Amino acid sequence: MKTHKLFECPSHTWLMFGRDDEKPEAIIDTNQYMVVTKNNSLLMDPGGIELFSAMLAAVIKQVPANKITHLFASHQDPDIISSLGLWDQALPSATLHSPWLWESFIRHFGMNNINYSAIPDEGNTLKLDGVSLEFIPAHYLHSSGNFNVYDPEAKILMSGDIGAAMEPVDAPLFVEDFDEHAKKMRMFHQRWMPSNEAKNDWVRRVRKLDVEMMCPQHGRIFKGDDVKRFLDWFENLEVGVLNKG
Amino acid sequence: MTDLSQNYFVSVAEIAAKLDQATTIAQKLSLTASNARAVALRAGERAAGFRPLTDFIDRLAEITISSSKKINQMAATLSQTSAEKVRADGAIKHFNSVYKIANESPYIDSLDEVYERCKSEQDRLEKTYRRQIEQLSEELETLSSELRNAVILATLSRVEASQAGSQYQDALINVADNVEGAAGKIKNHIKYSQQMVSTLEEY
Repeated sequence: MKTHKLFECPSHTWLMFGRDDEKPEAIIDTNQYMVVTKNNSLLMDPGGIELFSAMLAAVIKQVPANKITHLFASHQDPDIISSLGLWDQALPSATLHSPWLWESFIRHFGMNNINYSAIPDEGNTLKLDGVSLEFIPAHYLHSSGNFNVYDPEAKILMSGDIGAAMEPVDAPLFVEDFDEHAKKMRMFHQRWMPSNEAKNDWVRRVRKLDVEMMCPQHGRIFKGDDVKRFLDWFENLEVGVLNKG
Repeated sequence: MTDLSQNYFVSVAEIAAKLDQATTIAQKLSLTASNARAVALRAGERAAGFRPLTDFIDRLAEITISSSKKINQMAATLSQTSAEKVRADGAIKHFNSVYKIANESPYIDSLDEVYERCKSEQDRLEKTYRRQIEQLSEELETLSSELRNAVILATLSRVEASQAGSQYQDALINVADNVEGAAGKIKNHIKYSQQMVSTLEEY
């Protein structure tokens, strides 16, 4: 599991974990992100059971275990949060932020100790040592209860499955040629995103945000103008269709 | 062949399922007792010796039902404990792997507290698991010895049935057969469970 620093300022740091070349072959490669503030950390979409050891090992190279105080699950999928039962043993005092819609489902992964903080449909803001992290609604993109995380200071949007592409583990970290990359995203977005209305609403809201980096859960990160290119591309893409990839 | 070192929690669930079947058979035994009482009443004086036996059949059914229910409950609790134990064992395995991968991490010591807590939870579950197996084993033995009486009860029922005259003889012999049959089936389930439990004790 590789670790990359995406952003650093006196108040906080953004880290990305992924490109795990030791993961079992049949398991989809995922990007995990973590925001580290003075006394706390928010680990986003911590991944599946198979990734847990590699993930925890990577995280405690950066911060001590008791500093991982918050977890975030954008939605309920196993590649996002099936490791919860193990985090529950490792971090009994932590809080999991996740859509209210999925609470009774996510608890099936095993949650006896961690506190579930249900995010309302309209989203909310988490303050960590003075750093604001906004949970932005992204419902039906792809899950019916779904959030992104936006950091207005770092200008980073953790976009979950939006902007995702299936790539080999040695793929570059950032999008280099948008048009080439779009080919890898097309089928994924058309098949997994069910609603044009939800998609266009999300595009309208995200255009109003100041985003320097858009970080999906699979594939490469969009930087600078590629963020705008993505929004244009996504707006023009018809989603919720089968066999058009 | 089940690999117990991997799947002991599956074996515990199998025991629970077997004992659930024993409870169902015990309920049928209770029906046999009611049936026996009705036949004995109809037979009147000719089945005078049979009537007290119906009380014993009733008692046997009652003990078997309550004991089977108790054992079934114990097996279900044991099944729950063993599933929790598997989870704790899994977490420890993951933490050991983290120690190996991240042994040069500056914060590796921060995992010690987590590890110690999970280890003590694993130890607690291990002790609970052992104690519950022991209790289950004892209860199975108690029920097994109660069921030995069923053979005597069936023999006595047959002797009394032969005194009841041809009109009721077949019905009463049928009662004796049912008692013996039900007890035999339950005993088989218990024997199987005892074998499984003893394998778990060794593990």
